[in-house]
Amino acid sequence: MTEYRSRFRTLTDGSDAPEGADHHVFIGPQHPWAEEPAHFIIHLKGERVVEANIRIGFNLRGIEKAMENRTWRQNVMLVPRACGICSAVHQNVYVRVVDKLAGVEDQISERARLIRMFSLEAERIHSHILWYGILAHDAGFDTMLHITWRDREIIMDIMEEVSGNRVNYSINLPGGVRRDIRPEQVPSIRERLAKLRKQVEYHKKVFTEEASIRNRLQDVGILTKEDAKKTTPNGPTARGSGLPFDVRKTYPYEMYDKIDWDLVYYTEGDVLATTLVRVDETLASIAIMERCLDQLESTQGELLIRVRPRVPEGKYMTRAEAPRGEDIHYGIANGTDKPERYKIRAPSLGNIDATLRRMDSEYIADMPVILRSYDPCFSCTNRVMLINENTGEKLILNQDEFAQKAIKAKKYNRPFF
Amino acid sequence: MSAELKELESILNVTLPEKLVEEVVKVEEGHFDVLTSAKNAYDLMKILHEEAGIYHLSTITGYEKEDEFNICYHIQHRIEEEVREVPINFIVTKVDKKNPKTPSMFDFFEAAEYYEREVYDFYGIYFENHPFLQRLILPERWPDDVKPMKKEYSWEQMREITMKIAKEGMEEK
Repeated sequence: MTEYRSRFRTLTDGSDAPEGADHHVFIGPQHPWAEEPAHFIIHLKGERVVEANIRIGFNLRGIEKAMENRTWRQNVMLVPRACGICSAVHQNVYVRVVDKLAGVEDQISERARLIRMFSLEAERIHSHILWYGILAHDAGFDTMLHITWRDREIIMDIMEEVSGNRVNYSINLPGGVRRDIRPEQVPSIRERLAKLRKQVEYHKKVFTEEASIRNRLQDVGILTKEDAKKTTPNGPTARGSGLPFDVRKTYPYEMYDKIDWDLVYYTEGDVLATTLVRVDETLASIAIMERCLDQLESTQGELLIRVRPRVPEGKYMTRAEAPRGEDIHYGIANGTDKPERYKIRAPSLGNIDATLRRMDSEYIADMPVILRSYDPCFSCTNRVMLINENTGEKLILNQDEFAQKAIKAKKYNRPFF
Repeated sequence: MSAELKELESILNVTLPEKLVEEVVKVEEGHFDVLTSAKNAYDLMKILHEEAGIYHLSTITGYEKEDEFNICYHIQHRIEEEVREVPINFIVTKVDKKNPKTPSMFDFFEAAEYYEREVYDFYGIYFENHPFLQRLILPERWPDDVKPMKKEYSWEQMREITMKIAKEGMEEK
């Protein structure tokens, strides 16, 4: 048995390369390909990859520590900042932890739960469309990027109407939701969802029938089911490799067990399979959103119930299916209004190891699509120390100064700097 | 033998020796907390992995209590035919604060490798028999003896250290 080599490295000069590698390609943390701060080290022999490594930790924000210093109430607005794209799901898991610890989970009305679900599915749709657009761009198919991002505007417009924000909806609150979906909004939402479905069906047709992109993804970076079990990926990465686990089905939350929907999974394990999982899931999410609207017509109930600021002692772990996979939060309350400990594990960290394994003995030219395949989101991965400074024009502000300046700028309508 | 332990055993279809288990708490339907001490954790996890066939580790949480550290392994028992998961919080208790040591679960879960390194970064808990226990997330210049998630370090101290190492980094050519 060979000695185990961790793929999460600390050295970055290539001196810890595996045996047999003759070239080393370094990508990041600042690189035009990757918008996210991670350092990939690809060890090559000729054109084939010997081993791919990663170094993370460039964007430590300290959300967990920050949460211990804020009240449960303030954290409702901090926790969605754990991720820029899947913010609603973080907020949803957080409010479910608070609901359970405060003992009000049974009192939340069905209407509030349906609206929460509506926002979660909308987020999944926009995240998936964004991702497969970028994947097409990585594969050199820029037309597809433009088409998908144009269609993504449909769902963003819907959510802007419903929640007031395009991306970070902040619609979940402990005890319910912040806003209602009014009956007069529904016909126009339905119309646009139907249009979106047509477009996504067209996207699926492109990915399955268009040879130039299909050949780029098919049989590339295969992750077998055995490897997937070993490296424990989650979400679409695992479902592309034949592991049919989706938290919405395996441990239903909100109302997912009361609504009929299809679980998507593929067994091929290549990049095309993970892509098709996401395209099919987008279609499934549109169907769920439509069913939510159907049920909302006949469901009434209070949108927001009161939750006391002091959360009784206890601990609770809960999970949700984020667009990228399983999002898991563990909250420990000590009876005061601040959490004792709050742990967030966002899905990307769990997927990195499996994705790097996909690279083994593949061509270097396939590297962009494989690395993209798990939907890298490094705010998911690094979220620990906070750098609270603004160094533009030699100006360093701490948090309070920054807040004061912002308030003054708003109040007196002054420029910020 | 408690009713919770019996229920968990019937779900997992194994027998968990009572001397290894400290306590089993049922959080809600199909969701359990299993408490065990650092001494017995490895043997118990071995049964869960090899006999019950649990292979999915979601994450590891370290947390600090008044006089001990606790480490919580969030594992999922997956039943593929029923498309169902049984979440288990495997909590290792009584990790000494002065000399924090606990067995690494890398033998059973490869993912434990980087999750344990994260806990090592934040709490300084030493995982025995870990293949590559090095810094994962903290910056290179971060002082070795400062473990940021410990309660003894305040938010302001963290800010000071962060500013200091950022300044050092900018000054260095």
